[in-house]
Amino acid sequence: MKRIEFLYPEFCNIYAESYNMEYLGRCSSELEILNTRHTDTPVFANEDVDMIYLGCLSERKQEQVIELLRPYKARIEELIEKGTIFLITGNSVEIFGNEIRDEDRIIPALGIFDFHSVRYMNSAERHNSQYVGKFVDEDGFELTMLGHRSQFSFAYGDFFEANKFIDIEIGIGMNPNTKAEGIRRNNFFATYSLGPYLIMNPLFAKYLLRKLGLDDTIEFEAEAVEAYEYRKAELIATLG
Amino acid sequence: MLRFYFALWAAKFYYWINRKRGNARDDRPGLLAYKLCPDFLARVSKPKLVITITGTNGKTTTSALVYNKLKEMGYTVSFNDWGANLAAGYCLNLLRAVNIWNKPVMDASILEADEKTLAPAMAKIEPDFILVTNVCKDSLRRNGHPEYIFDCLEKTFEALGDKTTAILNANDPISSQLAKNTGTPRVFFGMADAHTNPFENRVKDIWVCPECGADIQYNYRHYRHIGDYYCPECDFKTNECKYYATSVNLDGRTITIEENGVAATYPLISETIFNAFNVLSATAVLREAGVGAGEIAEFFESQKITKIRETCIKYNGIEYHTYGTKSQNVSAASTVFEYMAKEPSIKEVVFCLDEVQDKNHPSETLTWIYETDYEFLNSPNIKKIVCAGHMYLNHKLRLLLAGIPEEKIFCVEDDSLVPQFIDTEGIEKVYVLFEIDYVRKGGRWRDAIVARAMELNGDDPSKVVGAINFFEQDGNNTVDVKEVK
Repeated sequence: MKRIEFLYPEFCNIYAESYNMEYLGRCSSELEILNTRHTDTPVFANEDVDMIYLGCLSERKQEQVIELLRPYKARIEELIEKGTIFLITGNSVEIFGNEIRDEDRIIPALGIFDFHSVRYMNSAERHNSQYVGKFVDEDGFELTMLGHRSQFSFAYGDFFEANKFIDIEIGIGMNPNTKAEGIRRNNFFATYSLGPYLIMNPLFAKYLLRKLGLDDTIEFEAEAVEAYEYRKAELIATLG
Repeated sequence: MLRFYFALWAAKFYYWINRKRGNARDDRPGLLAYKLCPDFLARVSKPKLVITITGTNGKTTTSALVYNKLKEMGYTVSFNDWGANLAAGYCLNLLRAVNIWNKPVMDASILEADEKTLAPAMAKIEPDFILVTNVCKDSLRRNGHPEYIFDCLEKTFEALGDKTTAILNANDPISSQLAKNTGTPRVFFGMADAHTNPFENRVKDIWVCPECGADIQYNYRHYRHIGDYYCPECDFKTNECKYYATSVNLDGRTITIEENGVAATYPLISETIFNAFNVLSATAVLREAGVGAGEIAEFFESQKITKIRETCIKYNGIEYHTYGTKSQNVSAASTVFEYMAKEPSIKEVVFCLDEVQDKNHPSETLTWIYETDYEFLNSPNIKKIVCAGHMYLNHKLRLLLAGIPEEKIFCVEDDSLVPQFIDTEGIEKVYVLFEIDYVRKGGRWRDAIVARAMELNGDDPSKVVGAINFFEQDGNNTVDVKEVK
């Protein structure tokens, strides 16, 4: 049995992020989803898990989660180096940087990766856009990834160029001046894209199942892939 | 001041021209006033009664109820009922209520207001009352999340302090926390258990207590997170209500509201719980504005759902409805899906929810679909679900994942094919769920379905065309079943 720890579903499920876990769970009977509440000690703190998921959350909850995870910074770094799978979506990616700047306020983040984020909640409209990009893994396996971002903040730093998850072909990366999207370090995958990312990218759901050592058949695979191909063509036609 | 008068006169002239051309609902005169004088909203004189109605859901219906009642009482009322609920709309609303010398010529202004952009405008307008119907999940692209909208609303009360009165929904654990520390007088309305037995939603708009982080519990819920809530760990709970609905009879369409120990019974405008809240909140506003309870009750007898939200054509024993759904508004869409399941008729449901408005900006195509409770549609009384438009494959996958049997799902890209999937017997109703901004499109789909049914039956299908005028002003916004033969 493989175990995925879904951290703080009561906070990190504001745009149907829980569906990422539900979908994976429905794809394999060999998967157990562990829901860890903010009042609980994370399972990964004392035991190995096969995958950890953290989704998008409100800005107040983001600050709360930083403090909840701060005691486990060294353990998270250890798990990343060990190759534990992490899927981090939406603004939870900012939790792993050095700090979040919110006007005059500096919110220290976990400092696991060398970048910072800036919130524009009071000075600019919410940013909304989609992306089409390429993910290539160490074996040369290639996937076209689709994403949609809707956010009050961007992330900055030279770090992303060498540690990106996705090369953006259409759209923007971690900020409007880069085509580098997300973070990839071993099996740590992070992207600003929010919501049901594995439904949006069913081929990546299959990739994760393979990474977990499971059969990669996904539920309603034909329909999921057909919808993905339609969206991909539509996005390329509309935005390309 | 010169700048203000220049803006007022220019905008009034523009408005006069628009009225002559039949474009009285064009809010560009308001925009002109705002551009010429950014401080226009502060400088324009206000009628003696200004009411702002905001919140995620229910503001249009509630505003219409309040407006209609004031009109019936003989008030002259300016109301931005054309959907312009931003600064330009407020400017037009208020400039209509003064003469060229900036003297009020109307008795009241009803401002249906966008919750996100409320603060800067309301700080200038200083309305007598601000009703917040509720705060729920809405379009993520524009509104982000409920905590963000709460903060936007709170800024309004921070700016106004005691210059306004907040009328708040005690059953909403989010919006009921507004204006707690701003010095603003707060009046609450709430409801006893209406025994609606609401379904559980996939995504909760608020899960944990904002004071201590424990899980919020409910004595009962009305829908979504709206209900009689409490925190088991601290004193966070439903506020005491000045206007409290002690009993709600949705089938009999009555609501009994107690105020300072005196109960009065009012008619409801439909059998849905969210419209019961609209009647309750409208009653609270009207009572605060000094309107008698008896007068309100009598008036509500004539009120029904706004025609723009629901219309019905009956042909050959089957009712064909258009039903406003607000696709990207998760709470509204889930509530409509729940209604489709609970409304007992044998029906077929058509999704005219292809987000045509976002075809060039499809950022929400998946998030709202997976936040919305498609599972509710897995109900024996729903015989078929038909989806068309460019979202058809996304809807299909979501319906399958929601457990809807594949044989009930019919999805096509070409919307002209929709009528051929609709049965002409063995059902009682057809509901075309349409984007609220695309009323005519929803009507066209429905009319095409009825036309095909008439054609199959040897009747003249042209009779259905124009059977309903969605925008006709008939005074009481009634929705009646229009029978075609």
